[in-house]
Order: sequence, then structure tokens, then C-alpha cells
Amino acid sequence: MSVGFLLIHARPQRAWSAILSWFLFAAGLAAYLWVAQARHRENPEDRVTPTLAQMATGMYNAVMQPAEEDEAAPPAANFYDRLSHSMLWRDTRATSRRFLLSLALLIPAVLLGLHMGLFPYVGVFFLRFVLFFDKIVALSLLPILFIAFGIDELSKIMLIVIGVTPTIILDSFNLTRGVPPEQIVKAFTLGAGDFDVAYRVVLKQVAPRVLNSIRLNLKAVMLFLFAGEMIASTDGLAYRIALLRRHMGMDVIIPYVLWVALLLFLVDFAMRTVNRKLHPWFHEA
Amino acid sequence: MLIHIEDVFVAYGSPPRAVLAGINLEIEEGEFVCVLGQTGCGKSTLLRLILGSEHPMRGRILVDGREHHQPDRTRGYVPQKYSLFPDKTVLDNITFGCEVSEFGLFARLTPAFYRRRKQLRAEAFDYLQRIGLRSCDAKKYPDQLSGGMQQRVAIAQALMTKPRILLMDEAFSALDPGTRRGMQQLVRDLWKATGTTILFVTHNTDEALRLGTRVIVLAKESVDQGSRIAMDLSVPAPCGDEEIPSLVRRLELVSESCAL
Ligand SMILES: Nc1ncnc2c1ncn2[C@@H]1O[C@H](COP(=O)(O)OP(=O)(O)OP(=O)(O)O)[C@@H](O)[C@H]1O
Ligand SMILES: [Mg+2]
Repeated sequence: MSVGFLLIHARPQRAWSAILSWFLFAAGLAAYLWVAQARHRENPEDRVTPTLAQMATGMYNAVMQPAEEDEAAPPAANFYDRLSHSMLWRDTRATSRRFLLSLALLIPAVLLGLHMGLFPYVGVFFLRFVLFFDKIVALSLLPILFIAFGIDELSKIMLIVIGVTPTIILDSFNLTRGVPPEQIVKAFTLGAGDFDVAYRVVLKQVAPRVLNSIRLNLKAVMLFLFAGEMIASTDGLAYRIALLRRHMGMDVIIPYVLWVALLLFLVDFAMRTVNRKLHPWFHEA
Repeated sequence: MLIHIEDVFVAYGSPPRAVLAGINLEIEEGEFVCVLGQTGCGKSTLLRLILGSEHPMRGRILVDGREHHQPDRTRGYVPQKYSLFPDKTVLDNITFGCEVSEFGLFARLTPAFYRRRKQLRAEAFDYLQRIGLRSCDAKKYPDQLSGGMQQRVAIAQALMTKPRILLMDEAFSALDPGTRRGMQQLVRDLWKATGTTILFVTHNTDEALRLGTRVIVLAKESVDQGSRIAMDLSVPAPCGDEEIPSLVRRLELVSESCAL
């Protein structure tokens, strides 16, 4: 370590960077284990801080056995059968379905934002309303949605749509507005029509930024999805977490929380990779 | 009369400050008009008016006898900045005009499109050579090129669609003297071969005299007045080396003295 430690011009070596970047993970884990051990020494029945072994058992059961309310798989079933009937798999599948459905619903939102930014009449028609809609706290609508759409899938999807689409619409609108007017004029002088300009010039240019904006909003999508699942649902990851809270099932809750984080990370990573592959010209700021 | 500009007035901002005031200009088919003027005097604005992407507050602009309310294929444009599409390779940038004007959004899915694209690419390679880029540059994206290379690609892109009128805004400003002379020659040759009407904005008086058949100078008479045409010089034959220094001095004097 040289003179420049902690200053702007410091250049951490690779090994140091690696150690420092993992340090907080290690510290967090160590602190947890230490607390868990201390609590178990005092009270072997402690349920608040399960040990690693307890979490592993809890997770093994979640992966290999069906949820209590379901009928068990035939005893002679093989590994894959048991996996596909398991609690974790069923919950993950239910949550992912809702998640992907909501992501698909963001595509029209992007297109609406694009048209609002390019076509003045579409812009004046929608902009004020979307701005207003954006300010509604989506969670405060939850009771209304349950009353209006019932407590099944539709209300949960609607919650996500209402919570996230205004942001995506406004973001694509702003990104569209940010395209230099010279580009649009130039496209027209080359013989492009209005829709060529919209889809072949502007949309292609803003696409990587729009994808990044969706990536930033994945967290919000997940937040609204979890709120819906926790309050009214019969399956899904958040439903399970809410259910296990009643039994103080920390040995499953903690692995579930980490599993959700991992899934979200993988989705984000996949989108980033796709973005890079599709738009090699784009340099992330 | 190809371009007819009649008593045009443009102001920007609030309170409005005049940029162009009382511009009258007639341009015949096949002329090569160079536009000179100090920075901020409204040269780019004049080009945008002819393109139809902006409209005058007073007066009117007729191109080919009628007013145009939006840019179209008859008037090619090489803007001062942001001239290339960042998401397309050099080759795709050059062929974009022909592709987009010949094939609609869905016609791109037909085999005819791919046959035509092959021809267009061959033509684009030809242009690439003429503007002095190597064929390995064809697959690069605009921000992998130097400023001068980008300018040359932008010119090739505008030339591909063979517009009747070509508006170039400081198209050679980022080129070194040698490359600049090459590009001047190229533009001059293409102008002779195709008979395109060219409006060429530049800050280089010498260049204007060597390229154009006509040089106009935009200048303000006082700070709060809009620019008008302070001088309109016709250059029937390219100037010889002896006349240029005196003409340059005269033009620059007009451009500067008006601004005082
Ligand atoms: N959209 C706009 N809004 C407000 N003012 C503008 C706008 N566009 C141009 N102007 C003003 O109009 C004047 C002329 O601008 P223009 O770009 O035409 O200058 P120019 O002659 O091309 O200058 P340069 O040689 O530096 O390119 C400038 O003073 C500029 O501030
Ligand atoms: Mg300019």
C-alpha cells in the first residue's frame, strides 16, 4: 500500500481489491455465526437465529419435500419427481410466473413512452395523466384492487403494473426526448418515414438505456409482487415467508430470502449480458 | 428558381432576440453556395429553415415552388454534430438512407431486400474508398472513429441518397489540410457530375472561395439586430491563387465590420 491510500489517485492492487470487496460478506457471516452460537449456548431451543446445520436441514426439506398442505409425492418417486413436487420449486414457479408476466407488461409501457416522446399529440394526450398516476402510492391502492379484481392473480399483476409502469413510461419518454433532434432530422432527409424514425432510429438508440432502466426497476417489480403475495395468495415465495413467520420458521426464511436475492441477481445479470450482446456499440456510463 | 427565401425573420428565447432578420435569397438549381459568417450569426439556423425542421416567424421559404413543413428526401443534410447513428456500423450508416426509403418496416423481411442490400453495400464500399477510409473501418461504430472520419462518413451517408439539394454544416471543420483538399475535390467533382445544388456552411473564407460558385456572408449590423446578408459574391470560375488573398480580406472585413 503506497502513499495514496484512501485518496482519489489510489490504485488498489488486484489482491487487495478482492479481499476488500469480500470483507463485509465475511464479517456479516462471522457476526451472525457468533450471535447464533451465543444464543444457542444460552437456550438450545432458540428459533430466532438457526445454526447453519438447522438452515441446511430446513432447506433440504424445502427442496425435497412438498409443502404441508399438499399431498406427498408417491414414496417411490425418483429425485426429479420429488423435486418438481417440492415446496421450493412450487413457490419459485408461482412467483416467477407472475414476475415474468409483469415484465412482459412493461413492453407496451416502453412503446407508449417512445410514442409520447416522438409524437406531440400522443404526448399531450398521455403525459399529464401519467405524471399524476406516477404520484399515486400503489400500495395504497391494494385494498381497492382486491375489492375490484378479487384476490386472485389479476389484482397482483395490476398492482405491479400500476406501481412500475408509470416510471417506465416516463423514463422511456425522457430517454426519447434526449435523442438529439439532428438525428431525427437526418433520418427524414435520408428518406425515412415517421415509423422508420420511431422504430429504426430512436427505439434502437434508446433500447440499451431503457433496458438498464428496467433493470433498475426490477427491485420495484419484486417489491410489489411480494406485497401482493404476502397479503393474498396461496403460493409463491413471499407467501411462504409470510406463512413461516407465524411458526418462527427462521431456518427456512433466511435461506428463502437469500434464494430470492440470488434469483433477482441472476435475472439482472442475464439482462445485462443480453444488453451487452445486443448493443455492442453502447458504453455504460 | 430552386430555393426562394423571402423576407425571413427568426428570433429565439424570451424576450425574443432576433437571429435572422430580413433575409432575401434566391438560389438557382445547380449553384454551389458557400455561407460565411461569424459564430452564432445564424448559419445553422438558415440551413434548418431550408430543411423545414424549423419555421420562420415571418416571411416564407419556397423550395421548388412550395413551402415544406418537414424535412424530406429532396434535401440532404450533413449536420454540424450528432451526424451519424451511434447504433449502426459505418456501412449500415451509409446504406441506411437507401434501405429505409426503398423498403418499409416489413419489406425488410423479403429476399428482395437482401439482394438489394448487397448492391447497396458494394456502392457504400465504393464511397468508403473515395472518402479515404479503409474497408476495415466499415464494421466500426461511429464512436470508434476519429472526428474527421465521422465527418467524412456523414458526407458519404448524405450523398448515397442523391438528394437534389445538399446542405452541409461545417462538414470539413475537423479535417487536416491534406484530407480537406481531398474532400473538397471530391465534393466539387460530385457536384459537377450530379448537378446537385449545394449550400455549404464554413468558417474558412479561403475554402469558400475555392469551392463555391457563390459566396454569401451573414452578419449583424448591431448587437441586438438579427443577421442579414451582408455580401453576396458570385464566383463564376474557381479563384486563382493571386486573387484569393485580397478577396479573403474583403470578405472577412465585411463579416467583422458589420458586427461592430
Ligand atoms: N433552439 C435555440 N434556442 C435558443 N437560441 C438558439 C437556438 N438555436 C440557435 N439559437 C441561437 O441562435 C443564434 C444562431 O445560432 P446558429 O446555430 O444558427 O449559429 P451558427 O451561425 O451556426 O454558429 P456556429 O458557426 O458557431 O455554428 C445563436 O446565438 C444561438 O444562441
Ligand atoms: Mg452552426
